[in-house]
Amino acid sequence: MPEPPRRKAPVPVKIIVAGGFGVGKTTTVGAISEISPLTTEAEMTMESVGVDDPGQASAKTTTTIAMDFGCVTIDQTLKLYLFGTPGQSRFSFMWDDLVRGALGALVVVDTSRIDDCYPAVDYFERAGLPFVVGVNTFNGQLGYNLDEVRWALTVRDEVPVVQFDARFRGSVRDALLVVLDQALNKALRMRQ
Amino acid sequence: MRYPAGPDDPEHPATPGVRPFLRGKEAPPAPQEVAPALRPFVITSGRVAAVDPDIGLETQVSALPSAFYARLSPEQRAIVQLCRDPLSLAEISAQLRMHFGVTRILVCDLRAAGHLDVHVLQSDFPDPDTIMRVIRGLRSIL
Repeated sequence: MPEPPRRKAPVPVKIIVAGGFGVGKTTTVGAISEISPLTTEAEMTMESVGVDDPGQASAKTTTTIAMDFGCVTIDQTLKLYLFGTPGQSRFSFMWDDLVRGALGALVVVDTSRIDDCYPAVDYFERAGLPFVVGVNTFNGQLGYNLDEVRWALTVRDEVPVVQFDARFRGSVRDALLVVLDQALNKALRMRQ
Repeated sequence: MRYPAGPDDPEHPATPGVRPFLRGKEAPPAPQEVAPALRPFVITSGRVAAVDPDIGLETQVSALPSAFYARLSPEQRAIVQLCRDPLSLAEISAQLRMHFGVTRILVCDLRAAGHLDVHVLQSDFPDPDTIMRVIRGLRSIL
């Protein structure tokens, strides 16, 4: 039977959790989300990074990707969404739809496959979105120290490189707080 | 070609009208992968263009009273039922197992018809106060 909506819509904010295949994005989202991660399928435009097609200006194709996401209710009027998004090497995804209005991004890195995260780092740098590199310590072990990871990624000094464990809620929360700190800095700069 | 002498001819059993693989001698051809439902954009009459780029994955949607009286397609009806309380587009898409692009088009149609309230945010980037609230909220959870 008809009835008006009972609750007022909360203001949504979102953080993107990016990284290569199997680095622990869904684990990260699941560790802190109050719902078990859901999946939505969305279309993304891929622009192949032209190593093998130098003749064409750009070869764009669309592909359907599955995105895992979760949420955290901050209070009745504010809800945080976390979107885990894949990034494949050799393709730079056009994440514009996803990035619009996002607070920032956590780029999850597995030290045994550091180059998997290059597309994400490149994209967020170009888009001017605050991001943090989160090195996922599988089994509490870190293959390289954080300075080595920073050197390998050649990110600007302002970009924090932190270590976290995607399986633990507190650890994921701390990594997200670093992202939020970056977002706050950006918001304060924009206000001036 | 030889015709069977009769129904009891053991050498040439009569099997009129029976497709070859139903005789059980050979395995039937492997079934093709069947699409689970309509191709996604059939529901939207083939439209794929994003209607309003400000409507994102996290945008909240809630049903308006008129939606419950309106004649709607099954997909639109399902969206309206889900949005009695405000829900994000991503959650609608996930719960209805419907492609995000399709969901967004259907939601835009429902909004244009006055059946849905789509809470589009004004500012592109959240203000510092909102971010501070998120920080405090996250700190307070274990």
